[in-house]
Amino acid sequence: MAEQILDQIRDVAEGQIDFEGQKLAELIANVALSVVGAIAFLVGYLLQDIKLAVLIGLGGTALTFLVAIPAWPFYNRNPVKWLPVGGGPQPLPNLVVNEKSVQR
Amino acid sequence: MYSSIVRAQNSFGFFTTVVFVVASLIAVSDLLTPRAPAVGTLKTTNVQVVRGRPHYYSSKKEEYAVIKFSLDADLSSLFTWNTKQVFVYVTAEWPATPAVTGTPSNTTLNQAVIWDTIITAPSADHLANIGPAALKKLQKSAAGKSIDPSRGKLSIKNQRPKYQITHPSGKIAETDNVVLKLHYNVQPWVGLLTWNQDVDIGLWKQLKGGLSKKFSLPAIKKKADAKV
Repeated sequence: MAEQILDQIRDVAEGQIDFEGQKLAELIANVALSVVGAIAFLVGYLLQDIKLAVLIGLGGTALTFLVAIPAWPFYNRNPVKWLPVGGGPQPLPNLVVNEKSVQR
Repeated sequence: MYSSIVRAQNSFGFFTTVVFVVASLIAVSDLLTPRAPAVGTLKTTNVQVVRGRPHYYSSKKEEYAVIKFSLDADLSSLFTWNTKQVFVYVTAEWPATPAVTGTPSNTTLNQAVIWDTIITAPSADHLANIGPAALKKLQKSAAGKSIDPSRGKLSIKNQRPKYQITHPSGKIAETDNVVLKLHYNVQPWVGLLTWNQDVDIGLWKQLKGGLSKKFSLPAIKKKADAKV
């Protein structure tokens, strides 16, 4: 029982996501951080307020981290389909060597 | 990007890149803001030379010039969103005379600061080195403003110098061709320090005025004279 809970906690902390999710997380992080930086500079320059620029930059970065770092469910929509453990009754693939079928 | 730690590291790494780029843009944006500082008046109001000691236990006596002055200057265009503070200082300058002992032969001009002040931008008021009451007053003076160009308008009458100046030789009385010069140093939040310039650089105009008329330092006030 305790082991199960520990495993769950470890899974959440590790936050593993699938390959498509990794691609998506990287894209979200890079685009969002760039956009936040651009908005921070433009707002700061137009309103001539450097404190506001810093606040927008740090706030936007915190939000981006919140979206990009935890293993949200939408990062696990394309899980890898592993073969079953132990092989099971798998049809043997036809091996072809020198254009001849190899019988096993 | 497969685990939380790797995603945190990657995201933070790119965040530092974004910070660097935005900071560079902020620094460059200074060049787009015109600067046209000008000095209305800079003149001496009272010049004295007295004898004194460099410190309390010194047996050496030196001559010190006490130069009171009046200043009217408009440095408001130096205040942009990236200005943290402006350091303003007045120097007395006079040509070196090689005959005077203690003057290094490669020195052609003597310069000594007689007065300075720090003007903070509202974004840096909390850094000002003043008491709590004065700080409250300072912050109130620019409440709701991110920049306050009126801070750059200086109007000072008959100001006592902060520093009484002397010369390495200890002799400064009866010096001729002394001028007062106003300098400033803009300290930005990010970017390069810039000083007053003698030529126009892009939108940054040179400091207009900023030099007083030439004057001479008087002879030492003698105690005997005062008694007579």
